[in-house]
Amino acid sequence: MAKMLMINPDKCTGCHDCELACSMVHESVFRPDATRVHVYTWEREGFSVPMMCQHCRDAPCITVCTPHALTRDPETGWVNLDEAKCIGCKMCVQACPFGNAVWDELTHKILKCDLCGGDPACAKWCPSQAIEWVDDVAATRTRKRAFAAKFKEVFSE
Amino acid sequence: MHGWNGQILRVNLSTGKIATEPLDPQIAHDYLGARGLGTKFMADEVDPKVDPLSPENKLIFAPGPLTGTYAPSGGRYEVVTKGALTGAIAASNSGGVWGPELKFAGYDMLILEGKAPKPVYLWIKDATVEIHDATHIWGKTVPDTTDAIRAETDEDAKIACIGPAGENLVRFACVMNDFHRAAGRSGTGAVMGSKNLKAVAVVGTGGVSCADNAAFERAVLKARDKIQKHPVGGTGLRLYGTDVLTNILNQIGAYPTRNFQTGYFPTADKIGGESLAANQLQRPKGCFSCIISCGRVTKVTNKKFAGEGEGPEYESAWALGGDCGVDDLDAVTKANYLCNEYGMDTITMGTTIACAMELYEKSIITRDETGIPLEWGNAEAMVEAVRLTGTGEGFGKKLALGSYRLADSYGHPELSMSVKKQEMPAYDARAIQGIGLNYATANCGAAHVRGYTISPEVLGVPMKVDKDEIEGKPELVITFQNLTAALDATGACLFTTFGIGADELAEMLSSLTGITYTTEDFMKCGDRIWNLERLWNLRAGLTAKDDALPSRLLKEPIPTGASKGEVSRLPELLPRYYELRGWDDGGVPTPSKLQALGLAT
Amino acid sequence: MRVKYFALLRDVTGKSEEEWREPAATVGDLLLALASHYGPEFGRWVLKDGKLWNLVMVLVNGHDVRQMQQLATPLAPDDTVVIFPPVGGG
Repeated sequence: MAKMLMINPDKCTGCHDCELACSMVHESVFRPDATRVHVYTWEREGFSVPMMCQHCRDAPCITVCTPHALTRDPETGWVNLDEAKCIGCKMCVQACPFGNAVWDELTHKILKCDLCGGDPACAKWCPSQAIEWVDDVAATRTRKRAFAAKFKEVFSE
Repeated sequence: MHGWNGQILRVNLSTGKIATEPLDPQIAHDYLGARGLGTKFMADEVDPKVDPLSPENKLIFAPGPLTGTYAPSGGRYEVVTKGALTGAIAASNSGGVWGPELKFAGYDMLILEGKAPKPVYLWIKDATVEIHDATHIWGKTVPDTTDAIRAETDEDAKIACIGPAGENLVRFACVMNDFHRAAGRSGTGAVMGSKNLKAVAVVGTGGVSCADNAAFERAVLKARDKIQKHPVGGTGLRLYGTDVLTNILNQIGAYPTRNFQTGYFPTADKIGGESLAANQLQRPKGCFSCIISCGRVTKVTNKKFAGEGEGPEYESAWALGGDCGVDDLDAVTKANYLCNEYGMDTITMGTTIACAMELYEKSIITRDETGIPLEWGNAEAMVEAVRLTGTGEGFGKKLALGSYRLADSYGHPELSMSVKKQEMPAYDARAIQGIGLNYATANCGAAHVRGYTISPEVLGVPMKVDKDEIEGKPELVITFQNLTAALDATGACLFTTFGIGADELAEMLSSLTGITYTTEDFMKCGDRIWNLERLWNLRAGLTAKDDALPSRLLKEPIPTGASKGEVSRLPELLPRYYELRGWDDGGVPTPSKLQALGLAT
Repeated sequence: MRVKYFALLRDVTGKSEEEWREPAATVGDLLLALASHYGPEFGRWVLKDGKLWNLVMVLVNGHDVRQMQQLATPLAPDDTVVIFPPVGGG
């Protein structure tokens, strides 16, 4: 059973605690520009969405990475970045369809979620369960059921 | 330095000079940041007798050391200046995400001096600081200003700005940030408008460092846990928002109704938090690093008052609602949105309309003059009054003065429910003795957040005290006032006190900065800040006579509701308050008191 | 007696107020009867270890029972009782 970071944007309050926890764990500083997770807020609608690496099965970032700094662990399914091998070409930044590989102009590094080695700080610190570290199959089924319930509400009127 | 950046940004709008200077570690230690730091610089640099709307006044934006960290609800900043409404020291607190951005840009404080020759905005991206022309943005509402400046600078810029109200020097115009958050009271927005400064836009790519990461993490997790386990901070505020207080205050008969004519509003439930949650709430919202999420993302679909935005909070719903006799939640929420868009303090706006409604009721002003039927409970008239004030049309020009100057212009200052010209908020001091003492003595004018004794006197947090009792109230008020001053100076949110207190705040501050603050040190910072504010006001010309309540609260018992028959016993409380504060009986801090706080000159 | 519910208790009971006809000599008797009628979801918001949760506000005719005899506060059949779970501030 594999786990994934489930994003529930309807629960996100735009507090940025995920960013702060991430930057503290990885960079020992509170610096949202140094994080692997970013929160986007649409203030007029009051809606926020956290975004981080999805650890794709067929990851375009791995395909374009010539020094093989980005690899996929067959056991966990995680896409890992070996900073020692990274040449900073930023091809992954171009390739990721979600924009989740980010270039940090201060440290000249690629910032990409590494799931904190299996205990993601963002999920731990999120106060509203907008990010959850959950079993992947069960989580997507729960999401499907929740949306099915919305149809039921609409049609049962 | 950790927690602090160690750097101050100073901008002279008259000359265009932009400079940075180091933050003296001793000053940082003694005053922390935000309200404390801003007040210290106002005390050192600004003659308290200046006209608040003159170039000689300064406008300070200051976050605190905790701002920008993951300390619970650690994202606040303060706007400090001489208040346009009050002529007293003003320190207006706001949340959102703007304050942390100034920290990430590398600054602990922004000091604005002088007056720009034409409308401008300030653009800060880390070390790059520029004054940009804002003539094409002048006149825009707060949301449109934010969009326009982002289009010219950076789509992720965090923006603090004024709306048309600040530009037109509405006495209670406020500074808005992140669309919906307000540094609300005392007219800080008018000061900003008087400097021809439309906005401060910030992008910060740096960070805030910590002295002891592991200890800070432990202290923060402990504090978060306490807040989350507490039913108010952990559940109640997220479900209902602050407006849940409407029914609470009303049921104990302490809900000021129709300009404080009584303390009970029979249809208050229609504008309470339960109603808001059922009819308008889209989702809760949190400020930076907030685990409480008391913010309300709301929408009004009723065509007459359609709109969307955030709020209303309890004080706003009360001022625009019950205080005006209005029980139409759609109208109240729409009025709240208008205040946010024009950039006006909802409390002063609503209470000023209430004052005008009483003047109208008593035929001191007439329909000819107001142009609108300012009758109690007339929701459309209330909303129109807000709109006229925001746009500066018709009777709105008079409402823009605030209730004191408005009532005084008609020869009836006693009908303004204010202290130091700032209107009292949503708790009737006749029914709650401690809050009345707080209203009378808060340095910024009547304000609830300066010493929120509603917590013990009404809610029972941290413990229940008798709201009608006067024994022990001066002590209680002083403790709350000192704790709040220190807390404000850290950059944390007041609502963390549903759960934690000085112990936890001192612990977080110590592990973040690497400087040991005991609980006693922390409270002493608060006492020091309070006394510094007091000294400034005395130099500005305020005296013990200004530590008063409107005669209605002293002489007219509440006529209806559960607190019927009660009056404020302020005259019995005030002498004891001065004594415990270490002040003489004229309310002046004694030399030995100042010596003990390091304030002796 | 008239009983009024606010905030979460409205969701739990499904009402904002009601005429409660069972006799109750004290506030404690009333709360236990209500908890028994509406179930543990009600009880958990007003009682802690059999005592009144100090953060709960119960008013009898507008007066806070924490300022009177807490759960032992006597009730008369024509009293109005208002119950707030611990919720708010601001």
